[in-house]
Order: sequence, then structure tokens, then C-alpha cells
Amino acid sequence: MTNIVPPPPLLKVEHLKVYFPILGGVFRRPVGEVKAVDDVSFTVNRGQTVGLVGESGSGKTTIGRAIIRLTQPTAGVISYQDKAISKLDSAAFRPYRKKIQIIFQDPYNSLNPRFSIFEIIGEALEIHFPAMTRADRRERVAGLLDKVGLKRDHLDRYPHEFSGGQRQRVGIARALAVNPEFIVCDEPVSALDVSVQAQIVNLLQDLQEELGLTYLFIAHDLAVVEHISDYVLVMNQGKIVEAASAEAIYENPQHDYTRKLLSAVPKL
Amino acid sequence: MTHYIIRRFLLLVPTLFGITLLTFLLIRLSPTNAALIKGGGGEGGGKAMTAEQREQIVKFYGLDKPPLVAYGNWVGKAMRGDLGNSFADHRPVADKILERLPLTISITGSALILSYFLAIPLGVIAAIKRGQVVDRTISFVVFVLYSIPSFAAALLLILFVAGGDYLNLLPMYGINSINASEMSLFPWLWDRILHMILPVVCLTYASLASISRYARVSMLEALSQDFVRTARAKGLRERVVILRHALRNALIPLITIFALELPVLIGGAIIIESIFTLPGMGQLMFQSLDSWDEPVIMGITVLAAVVTLLSYLVADILYVIVDPRISYE
Amino acid sequence: MNSISLSQETYTQRLWRHFHADKFALNGLRIVILLFIVAALAPFLANSHALIRVADGHVSFPIFLSLEPIEWRFLLYVPLAGLVYFFRHRFIAHPGIFILAVIGFIAAVEIFLALTHPINDPTNDRDRPASFKLLPPIPYSPIESTPDQFSPPTWKHLCGTDSTGRDIAARMLHGARTSLSIGFVAQSIALTIGIALGGLAGYYRSWLDIGICRFIEVMDCFPPLLFILVAISLFESQNNMFYIMAVIGLTSWTGVARLVRGEFLRLSSLPFTLAAKAIGANDFRIIVRHLLPNALGPILVAGTFGVASAILIESSLSFLGFGMQAPTPSWGDILSDARRYIDFAWWLAFFPGLAILITIMSYNFVGEGLRDAVDPRLKMK
Repeated sequence: MTNIVPPPPLLKVEHLKVYFPILGGVFRRPVGEVKAVDDVSFTVNRGQTVGLVGESGSGKTTIGRAIIRLTQPTAGVISYQDKAISKLDSAAFRPYRKKIQIIFQDPYNSLNPRFSIFEIIGEALEIHFPAMTRADRRERVAGLLDKVGLKRDHLDRYPHEFSGGQRQRVGIARALAVNPEFIVCDEPVSALDVSVQAQIVNLLQDLQEELGLTYLFIAHDLAVVEHISDYVLVMNQGKIVEAASAEAIYENPQHDYTRKLLSAVPKL
Repeated sequence: MTHYIIRRFLLLVPTLFGITLLTFLLIRLSPTNAALIKGGGGEGGGKAMTAEQREQIVKFYGLDKPPLVAYGNWVGKAMRGDLGNSFADHRPVADKILERLPLTISITGSALILSYFLAIPLGVIAAIKRGQVVDRTISFVVFVLYSIPSFAAALLLILFVAGGDYLNLLPMYGINSINASEMSLFPWLWDRILHMILPVVCLTYASLASISRYARVSMLEALSQDFVRTARAKGLRERVVILRHALRNALIPLITIFALELPVLIGGAIIIESIFTLPGMGQLMFQSLDSWDEPVIMGITVLAAVVTLLSYLVADILYVIVDPRISYE
Repeated sequence: MNSISLSQETYTQRLWRHFHADKFALNGLRIVILLFIVAALAPFLANSHALIRVADGHVSFPIFLSLEPIEWRFLLYVPLAGLVYFFRHRFIAHPGIFILAVIGFIAAVEIFLALTHPINDPTNDRDRPASFKLLPPIPYSPIESTPDQFSPPTWKHLCGTDSTGRDIAARMLHGARTSLSIGFVAQSIALTIGIALGGLAGYYRSWLDIGICRFIEVMDCFPPLLFILVAISLFESQNNMFYIMAVIGLTSWTGVARLVRGEFLRLSSLPFTLAAKAIGANDFRIIVRHLLPNALGPILVAGTFGVASAILIESSLSFLGFGMQAPTPSWGDILSDARRYIDFAWWLAFFPGLAILITIMSYNFVGEGLRDAVDPRLKMK
């Protein structure tokens, strides 16, 4: 048997720090900092789902936003396929906007209320494939709607006509529009009814299988993460306190904080 | 909060510099200046001056200096509390302003107080009778009042009640009758009140409209609050609920609006003072603008700016004190 | 194409439905439109030239010959109004572009024409003999002095005449053009500056925000009358309409800027803006396609109230003698005439005062209705 070199991880986060200054005093000078993310390292392999769990304020959303460059890291390196992307300028980062996408938590505010569903999902195509005709775009968006379980009829509807679950499907279709490889799911089901949560999680799993996607799945609820993740990171106050496979975390939690989170999971 | 207030105070400094610099440069930008108007070379007409004389005047008033140097001089003197002398009559600007302030404050002040006294009951009644005929009538009348241009109202009032071909109940112009200096205290006071009625009415009706609309909204908001419902549920009489619980809370936002009205108190109303020939701040500003009386324009601008900026600050601070949900830290 | 269900209602359609249900607002809008039509047709409603004249067997249309090019400008609005009415459904579907196009069109026409000076032909054929003539309803030109001086309202002069015997009704009809176009253009200028600066402050924040906020404060404390006097003395010109528009616009944008800044601060931290950034939208696209359309409602409300206040400022300026120069008729100008003959000439104050009142009230009703439609929570019912 030959020694197979393992493929490099799709995403690698090394010693990531994101500090936000606390402005104070008369001159609004930084008088201190909030360590939202404090020296966090982890990797995500292709095709995997990594769960990122913690209470609100633990820094998990900040990690997601740092990866997608909605927040500037203070220190540390984020690499995608061995290429350090956190240091690129915005023009050089542009190709990665097609590879890395995000799904937001709040289905009510994450869709522009003035845009039709076609415009919301098609915007990414407009930006990244300027040569595409409108008819092609409509065709592609209709295909995406089909993929996420919505109808072609919905193309010219507006967000306020949809339920929370349907809106979240639109959000997923928007993320899928550019054929991404990696999706940051930033608490995609936290704002939804329990019955709808399962549908969305199943949809995400089906899409992962079909399209070979990789997820960083952020949640404050271990139950949701356990269901979908291969690997789970538990965060508390900006640091990762426990990292293990989903079963290991669930059956044999090592850290007090993880146990506390687990005890909050409703037992069936 | 303390830090916030100090910071806001410090931010007043660049703003004040900006206002005074802009005003100063604009005055200097204009091809007309005090010397030209005095000399009759401008649109003013009158006896024209020789070029030499004009030169002398220009030099005398420092109008030949580069604008920024002149501005620097002005700032230097203003910092020491010296606003300079008027070009028109060479009296200190501060004196000219001080002698006009009492009149302006008495007129705009009475109008402001009067409009609050009328507006709050109107707004409260409209809110209590929400959607009924009373509310609609009040809202409509207030809306019409709000849209009447004050100068047209002033003209018509003068025409019909003050010495035109119609009624002659009130004096038309000025702040006192010609023989006022011979009057004893009470007739003098009565005479002054008669002169103040029309200007105060004109200033009152417009602000009455906006304040009563604020009062109505604020009262409606208060009436929909939980504590009012609780008070009702406790079986308190409606009058008690409205006066003691709702009204008290509804008044709070109106205090902050009051702060924003303060600049008008100092600045006066140019149009109303000009129609009724009242020697107030508005008229002083108008006259100084008309004759490019630079030191007076600058003096009034600084005073008005300080009062305006401070009242914004007071309004913001009152906001925080009144509503603990808002924080500026 | 796809079937579109009837329940589908865009934001603008909802806005229109609320607005439509508000009687005051709807009637306000009708009056504003009527005022624009009257202003557009002013030369045909008040003119000393006959519409049709038959003399010596010749038929002529003197009124058309008397029109200066500038008189035609409001006529441009008639086809514009027709187009807007014809395309009103599409208008409701894509309001942003449409509103901007209409505002831009009117502003461009106004600014262009404001730079040319109107000349009125003082000759009249009201009294010229003819076998048949059809005169306009008000057979006087706004600058024409008739022998009847200080005539109170009579059947001959519906709103009376002034000290030089000029017909007030004719002056008011033509003055409507001044007031409406100044109000409109001045507010367009204010909106442009306010949206640009407020948008920059609200979107980019940090030092740009601090700087723009200080600038807003400076402008708020600045005496606007000084600005106007300087502008007038700098650009001494027969036709100063453009400067008055510009000066009113340049001094009344701060409210809009504060509003837009607040809206942009709020909108730019909402997830849909972040989502647009995540898919690689640039700043221009985010501002123009995501933030601006969502702030358009409140901006439109502020703009409507702003037009009312710009009209008031214009008439105050004319009243104080700093406004439109003679012989251009303006409502404020008639009022300042009234001031000189305050003893008896009530009609000089009453009619223009009423005209200003009706205009401002209509705009304010429209603004009020729009505000309730934009934010139903504030409904003042």
C-alpha cells in the first residue's frame, strides 16, 4: 500500500483574530477591544459539513463574515485551497465571491423588499456573467427555484408574498446562483418554525449531495448541528473550546460549556 | 454621557469656525460692499463719492485686506469678546444686539408660550377623540393655519383690524405710540400690549399648528402604552388616566421640540418684524444685510449659530434623559 | 409568459393604494396637477391677444404670434402629463426610474428656460376692432397697465388691479408659473445635494460622516438671506429666476441629507445589503440598486414637503424685494405691492395669499398622504 497524501483542506483558518475597538472618552479613541474571535484555527475539507456552535456573542457569526470578507480580520490567515484569501484586495478576491457564498439567518431582512425573486437571485449572475442575456438568466433562475423547491411562477413575485421558510429557500437559491463550492450557513434555520427547520436542513443536505457542496454550518443549537455536521466546533467567548466529530460531541462532551449547551437541547 | 456632552461641545468649535468663515467669505465675495453703498456707487443712488474718498473708506474699514487676514483679525477680536463696531453708526455691535434682544425675546417668547398653551389642549383633545368629528375638524383647521403664509396673514390683519378702511382696533406699526414717553407705567404697558398683539398672533398661529400636531401624535402614542391600559384596567376614572398618566408622558417629547424652537427666540422673525416695523433682531439683521454692515452680520450670525447649536445639543441630551432606551455612548 | 396572480402587489402598488384611499391626499394631488395645468396654459387663459380674430375677412390667431419661446415651456408638460397618465401602470411597477425621469425632464426644461428672459408683448388687440374675436377668459396681459388703477374686484377685473392698473388675475395666473417652477426646481436641487451628501455620510460612515455632519450643521446655522443677497449682487442679471432656484436649493438640502443619512445607516447594515456585498456587488450598485430604492419613500415625502416650503421661501423673498425682478409676475411680488397700499387694497393681499395657501396646503396634503402610505404606523387617522 502506498502512502496517500491527503488532499489539502478546502478552507483553512489559522490563528484568526477579529477584534473590534471599543471607542470611548471625549475623542472616541479606542480604549479597549472586544475580542470577538480570539485565535481560532480549524480546517474544512471538501464535501464536509463543519458545525460551528455557540451562544449568541460567542464570535461564530464573525468567523463566517470574516471568511466571506464582510469583516476584516485583525490577525491570522484564512486560506482557500492553500491560497491566503484574507490578504487579497477586493479586486483579487472577486473570483472567490463565486466560490464562497453565504446564507443569512434573518429571512425577512436578507431579501431586498424592492426586488422581485428573479432580480434577487439573478443579481449575482448579472455581476459575474455580464454576457448572459436576460432570457438566459431567467432560465437559470427558474432552474434554481426548482432546485430549492419553489415554482417557476414565483419568479416575478416579491419577498413579502412568501413565508419565512420560502424566503430562506430564495436565500439559498441566491447563494447557489454562482455555482459556489463553499457556503457559510449563518444560522439559516434559527429564525424558522421547528417544522420548517427540518425541511430547510434536509434541503441543504440534498443540495450538498447533489452539488458536492461544503458547508460551514453556524448555529446556536447543538441539535440542529448534530443532525447535519460531520465535525463540530464549539465556541465560547471568541475561542474554540471543543472540536470533535458530531457523535463524539453528543455522546461524550469534554468541556463544561459543551455540556451546558447539550443540556439545553430538548430531549425527545 | 459626560464624555458625550464634552465631545459635542468640542465639536461645536469647528462648526462655529465653519459658519463664521463661510459667512465672512460670502460677504467679502460680493462686489458690493459697505463703502460702495455709503458712497452711493452701488445701487443705493445718492451723491456719488470721489474715488479717493471711497479708497479712504475702504481702508478705514479694512476692506482692502485679503479676506483670510481680515477673518483672522475678526476671530482674534471676537475671542476677546469684541465683536467690533457697526459700519453704519460706529456703535459696538454687542450694544446694538443687546438693545434689540429684549423686544425680540418678548415677542417671540410670548408667541411660543401662547402657542404651547393652545396647542397642547388641542392636540390632546384631538388624540382623545381620535377619528371623530372633533379630531378631524381640529386637524383640518390646524392644517389650513399651517399653510397660510404669515406675511399674507399679517397684511390682511393690518388691513381689517388695524387702521385700514375697515376696523381700527389695534395699532398698525411699531412697538409704542409716538407719545409713549409721556405715559405713566400702566397706560404705557397697555399701549405696548396693544402693539404686540398682531405680531404675536401672526407668529403664534403657525407654530401652534406644528406643535399641536406633535402633541397629538405624542398623546396617541402615550395612550397606546401599557401603563395607560393598566391604569384603565385598575378602574381609574378616564379623566385621571388621561391627565395623570398619559398626558405626563405625552409632554416629554414636546420638551425636546421646545429646545429646537429656541433659535427663533433669538433670531426673531425677519418678515414679521419688517411688516410691523418692530426694532428687533430680525430687523437688525435685515438692515445690516441691506447695507453690507459686516460686523453686525457677523455678530448676529455667531449669536444665532451658538444658540442653534446649543439647542440641538440640549434637545439631544433631553432625548436621552427622557428616553433611557437611547444612548449615545 | 408566466401567470401572474392577482394577489401580487409591489411596494409601490401598496403605497398607491394607501394614498388613493386618503381623500385629502388625493384631492391635494389633483389640485397640484390642476395648478400645473393652469400654469401651463396661463398665456391662453390671461392674454390681451385674441385667441381667434376675424377682421376684413381674414381669420388670424394673434395669441400664437404673441407667444415668446419661453411661453411654450409649460406646454411641454401637457404631453408629458399625457405620457405619464398613459403609462401609469408601468409607472407603478418601476417607480424609481420613472420618477427620476420625470423630475429630470421637468428640471432640465426649467433650468434651460429660466436662463432665457421672458418678454411680453405690450400691444393688445382686445380693443382692436374686428368682426369677430374670441378673447381668453382674462383678456389682459400680466404686465399690461390698464387705465383702471386700484380697481377692487369687479366683473371686468376679477381680482382687481394694482397701482399701475395691471390685472391681478392675469398676474396671478402667470405668477403660478414662477412659484410652481421655482418650488419644483429648487427642491430638485435640494434633493440632489441632500441625497448625495446624506448617502455618502450614511454609507461610508467614519470621517466622511463626521465631516458631512459638521457641514450640515454649518448650513443649518447659516443665514440664507445673505446667500441670496450675495448671489444677486454677484450675478446681476435681468432674469434672476435661476439664481433664486439655485439659492433656495443650495440652502434647503440639510433636512433631506439628515434623512437620507439615517436611512442609509439603517439599510446598509441590513442583511440584504451584506448579501449584495457577498455576491460581489460594488458600492455603486449597492447604493443605487439596493439602498436608494428602499429610501425612496421617505425621500419622496420630504421632497413633497420641501416643494411647499420652497414656494413659501420664494414668495417671502419676493415679498421682501429680493425675489423675482419686475416685470416677471410672482405671488410674493403682488403681496409686496399690497404692503404699500395696506390701507385699502385688500384684494392685493387676499388673492395671492389665497393662491399660496392653496398651493402649499395641497402639497402638504400630498406629503402627509405619502407619509402615511410609506409608514402606516404613523397614520394620523
